[in-house]
Amino acid sequence: MLQILRRYGTLIGFVAIVIFFSVMLPATFPTLKNWLNITQQLSMLTVVAAGMTIVMVMGDFDLSVGSMATLSGIVAAMLFVAGVPVPAAVAIALAVGLAGGLVNGVLVSVIGILPFVATLATLTIFSGVAFVLSGGKTISGRAIPPDFADFAKSGVALGDVAGVAVSLPTLTIVAVLVVGLVYILLEQTSVGRRLYAIGGNIEAAHLAGVAVKRLKLIAFSLTGLAAAGAGLMYASRVASANPTQGSGLMLNAIAAVFLGMSMSEEGEPRILATVLGVLILGVLDNGLTQMSVDSYVRQILVGAIIVLAVAASALGKRSRR
Amino acid sequence: MMKSALRIGLTAAAMLTAGSALAAKVAVITPYLSQPGTQFYVEAFQGVAKDKGWDVNVIDTAGDVAAVISRIEDMVNQKVDAIVINVDPSQVTAGLEAAKAANIPVFGMDAGANALLQTNVTSNGYAMAAETSTYVADRIGGAGKVVMFVFDAFPPVQVRGVIADAVFKNYPDISVLDRVTPDVSDGGIADSRAKMEAILAANPEPGSIKAVWAAWDQPALGALQAIEAAGRQNEGIVITGIDANPQAREEIAKGGNFEASVAQDFKGIGAATADAVARVLGGEVLKQRVIYVSTKLVTAANAKE
Repeated sequence: MLQILRRYGTLIGFVAIVIFFSVMLPATFPTLKNWLNITQQLSMLTVVAAGMTIVMVMGDFDLSVGSMATLSGIVAAMLFVAGVPVPAAVAIALAVGLAGGLVNGVLVSVIGILPFVATLATLTIFSGVAFVLSGGKTISGRAIPPDFADFAKSGVALGDVAGVAVSLPTLTIVAVLVVGLVYILLEQTSVGRRLYAIGGNIEAAHLAGVAVKRLKLIAFSLTGLAAAGAGLMYASRVASANPTQGSGLMLNAIAAVFLGMSMSEEGEPRILATVLGVLILGVLDNGLTQMSVDSYVRQILVGAIIVLAVAASALGKRSRR
Repeated sequence: MMKSALRIGLTAAAMLTAGSALAAKVAVITPYLSQPGTQFYVEAFQGVAKDKGWDVNVIDTAGDVAAVISRIEDMVNQKVDAIVINVDPSQVTAGLEAAKAANIPVFGMDAGANALLQTNVTSNGYAMAAETSTYVADRIGGAGKVVMFVFDAFPPVQVRGVIADAVFKNYPDISVLDRVTPDVSDGGIADSRAKMEAILAANPEPGSIKAVWAAWDQPALGALQAIEAAGRQNEGIVITGIDANPQAREEIAKGGNFEASVAQDFKGIGAATADAVARVLGGEVLKQRVIYVSTKLVTAANAKE
């Protein structure tokens, strides 16, 4: 019984949070419209966290995802200002993400710098480049093409629920697609199994013939690509690009992966568990905002919940030994 | 939590007894609560809101603009009576449209004018420039050469320059020696100083420059440094800025060349925003897209306030 509580503590906690908010806010929390809102609000974090899961499977980190998200938004916006069509600008911004991720991969796997140090360095580099490109200014207004800004506002109409038009937000669809792709990569392919092998024991994986360097390059590139994608989603949502706008994503993404890890048997990251971690963070934000809980108290609560979840799972593992 | 439960209960009870006055729920959403100006607005807003018995929820997104949209959506979902934002409205259009669809009025508190806002409460850039440019004209007796520091690329500062141009032009004996746009990438002080040093070098005669009018405080501080470095602080060159930032106030208080600046009334903006909310909740349709709150000339007499 205790073992079940430890293993599924985070999941039970999530259900408890949902029930709590549903009881406290019966008219506005457990509604389809609110949940669709939450998924849209979380779409950017979901994409970053999905990318983060890929490197964390190998036991690595990428601290540069937030600055990469910022940089891709700035790159796209600068290209819009230069008159580049939306699809081309988006493609180039995504390519910047892939390239930045590849740089992280080279630093970590080819040169052999600790991921924490390497990506801390690229964090400041990407952020600096975003500032240089934009001159420190927010690019907004007419500089942003309506096509790009409308993307984040669009959705697939689901019809009327109790007289309110409800639609499935495009950003939510994008996030679900990204999660699906990462799920296939990590859970259904040999690349995924090898990434988990590296995370389990890098020496053993290497000796068993796993191409560690190449896989790390791929993993970091994909994390960079996801971060750039999230940055474009963010830029579309705020119809502007600002050289600091992605900075909040990195810590939340790592927090979400850790929350997810507290649920898996061996304590390794699993993409679906990461999604649950993202949901916990987002539901707390949404519910506590609706209950008028002070924004700063919210931050304390979120941190406390992460500690609780991870501590519970750590204790659970120790008791098994 | 008890309190919230109680409130929900009371709200439900009040709804049942239909017609009794409900406390209006108002959300104030900003990414910039940690900045001093914003805190003044919000505290003044809460002061008025308390008198009116509103239930105010202040939400800070710690610099995250997309989160402002999310929180607006949450508040729309909660069916609050009004939302106040303190962020560039063009960046949160998605949230403003959600509020509009739900018929919830949104107000700007020094946010920028936008068709989706009931109104925006802010300081009047034209009026601020009129205060300092007339101060300069009066101080130099309507005659002499003036150096202007402007920045026409940034709309809120551009309007200040327009007014100063008009005021100086209205005096036949005032001539504008130079209309300088400093490079602001280093904050504006250093390049303004360099530009002013060049102008001083080109005009070595004492009295050949009567005044420096700057569209904001940084160039005024730069010009002051140049004048002091050139040893010309006793020629009576009058300097004015706008914004009355702490560094400017300090210089003005010393009683030197930097004589005046203009302070925005942040508390007044907060209180006026609350008044605008009250008017709309009372059923009024606001005609003014922008409501200006008066500013205050800062001189040596009141710089330390």
